[in-house]
Amino acid sequence: MSAFEKSVSCKDVAPLLVFYACDEVSDRERKQIEAHVANCEGCAAQLAEESELQEAMIAAPQPADELDSSGILLSQCRSELAETLDDLSAPPIQEHWRPLGWLRRWMALRPAWSGVVLVLFGIVLGTQVLPWLQNGKNGNANGQAMNVMAKPPLSKDQLDKMEIAGINFSPSSDAGSPNVQLKLSAEQPMVLTGSVDDSDMRHVLTYVVENGERFDAGVRLDCLEALKAVSRDQQVRQALIAAARKDLNPAVRMKALESLRDAASDDDVRQALLDALGHDANPGVRVDAINVLVGSLQHRESEETAPEAAPATSVVKPASPEDDQSVERVVRALEQLQRRDPSRYVRLRSAAALRQIGPREVQ
Amino acid sequence: MPLPRWALALANDNGRSGSTDAALASVISLSHLDERALVAEAQAGSRAAFEELVRRFDRDVLRLALNLMKRPEDARDVYQEAFLKVYRNLHRFRFECSFYTWLYRIVTNVCLDHLRRRQARPEDQAPELNSGLHEEGITDFFERQREKRPTLDPERTFMGMEIKARIATAMERLSPRERIVFEMKHYQGLKLRAIGDALGTTEETVKNSLFRATRKLRHELGGLR
Repeated sequence: MSAFEKSVSCKDVAPLLVFYACDEVSDRERKQIEAHVANCEGCAAQLAEESELQEAMIAAPQPADELDSSGILLSQCRSELAETLDDLSAPPIQEHWRPLGWLRRWMALRPAWSGVVLVLFGIVLGTQVLPWLQNGKNGNANGQAMNVMAKPPLSKDQLDKMEIAGINFSPSSDAGSPNVQLKLSAEQPMVLTGSVDDSDMRHVLTYVVENGERFDAGVRLDCLEALKAVSRDQQVRQALIAAARKDLNPAVRMKALESLRDAASDDDVRQALLDALGHDANPGVRVDAINVLVGSLQHRESEETAPEAAPATSVVKPASPEDDQSVERVVRALEQLQRRDPSRYVRLRSAAALRQIGPREVQ
Repeated sequence: MPLPRWALALANDNGRSGSTDAALASVISLSHLDERALVAEAQAGSRAAFEELVRRFDRDVLRLALNLMKRPEDARDVYQEAFLKVYRNLHRFRFECSFYTWLYRIVTNVCLDHLRRRQARPEDQAPELNSGLHEEGITDFFERQREKRPTLDPERTFMGMEIKARIATAMERLSPRERIVFEMKHYQGLKLRAIGDALGTTEETVKNSLFRATRKLRHELGGLR
């Protein structure tokens, strides 16, 4: 036994036996162990036990032998990996053209901020953009009026077949003629919107007044109210005069007379008022005619005495022979009413009107 | 014999040919490439080269995972996770060690993660493998008589099953790292230096782990003989 071999004790060899049994020692360690084990029964027995244990463990069936003895699991794993790699190898979605893709990614990563942004966007859209768009569409129109013009103008046939479903007014921005919205139930329903100065609108309104028997009294009243602003128009005036004379509804006739107030000094209008005084069966219409006549005479007087203030009990004085004749006709008509009208109120109103006009000598 | 579909797919992915002969040539050429060349091809973007690498090593990877995890579904997760990590990080591999070592470093890390997670959840422990000690629980007579080992010696068969059951129990006593070291040494046949490289540690540390593992096993399996 060499000095080298003697220097190795059981304490030195014991920890190396595990690695000797699995061939993980250096050549020098191997020689030391083999020399020691050859002369030490205890270490030899321990080495045998170590080797036996390792052999037993290596020989024992492993979990992998049972769990995938047929290789099916390996095939499944390969297949799944290939599918995953296919997904990874697929061209990324963002390579395709997607509108606002960056915005969608940003929103997907920041849901809270996305909610805030969407709410703000909705508020701005609702409070700023939509009203701005509506203003752009309506142009100078105000309120509820819509700028749907009757283009091309309604034909005679269309007018004969139309029905008025509704009529709305809105005041004009420049205190001129009001804007009117007419909802027509024709073969093709339509909405006409525009000023009464517009010839097409005026044409439709005049048609309603002239053909009053076809339309509701309320619609006729609304049309008369609208046409009041353009009563100087010859066609409109004729329609108003016709309505004052012929409309079956006394309220419409009264409204027609009132609508003619601005043109009451004209001969044809005055004649219509006198006819109403003498022939209208409704005392209210007759009283209204008296009021319009007296008002027109006072209006002309005030115009002649301007700029001086007119006295409260002004006396109507004709300025020309033609005017004189016209006033005389009014006076005679009023005197007739004062004496003969079956309505006491009409008689009283006639007497009051005569006092307003002033004493006249009846020829 | 017709070419397997996966082989054609590999060849077509490689972009070398659309014909059957060319595809076959491509697959054959890949199978003849050495590990370094395959890795270089895969790093250049060749899906076929990567899949060839997978096929060279995945059997051992799955075996390691099965032995450690003892549940097919867990082993499958380890397999997928490990190779996807390899796929995503292949461009970082600088040939400073063998691809095999680098692959096993990834696989063992994934296994360690899974084992540690399992240890943190006792309810998620792997079930005991079906051992011969519980054979009386098998109701099917023919199943009970089924040959488990190539030998016809019933005594040896019984001893083998008993040893297996006790080894499985003893392995449960090891820490995840000790279990991996023991597995890689005795069942994968790796040298301790290679195991150290795979685990990113020194050979001495691996030696200590193996020593502790063996001592624990010997203590558990003291009366095995």
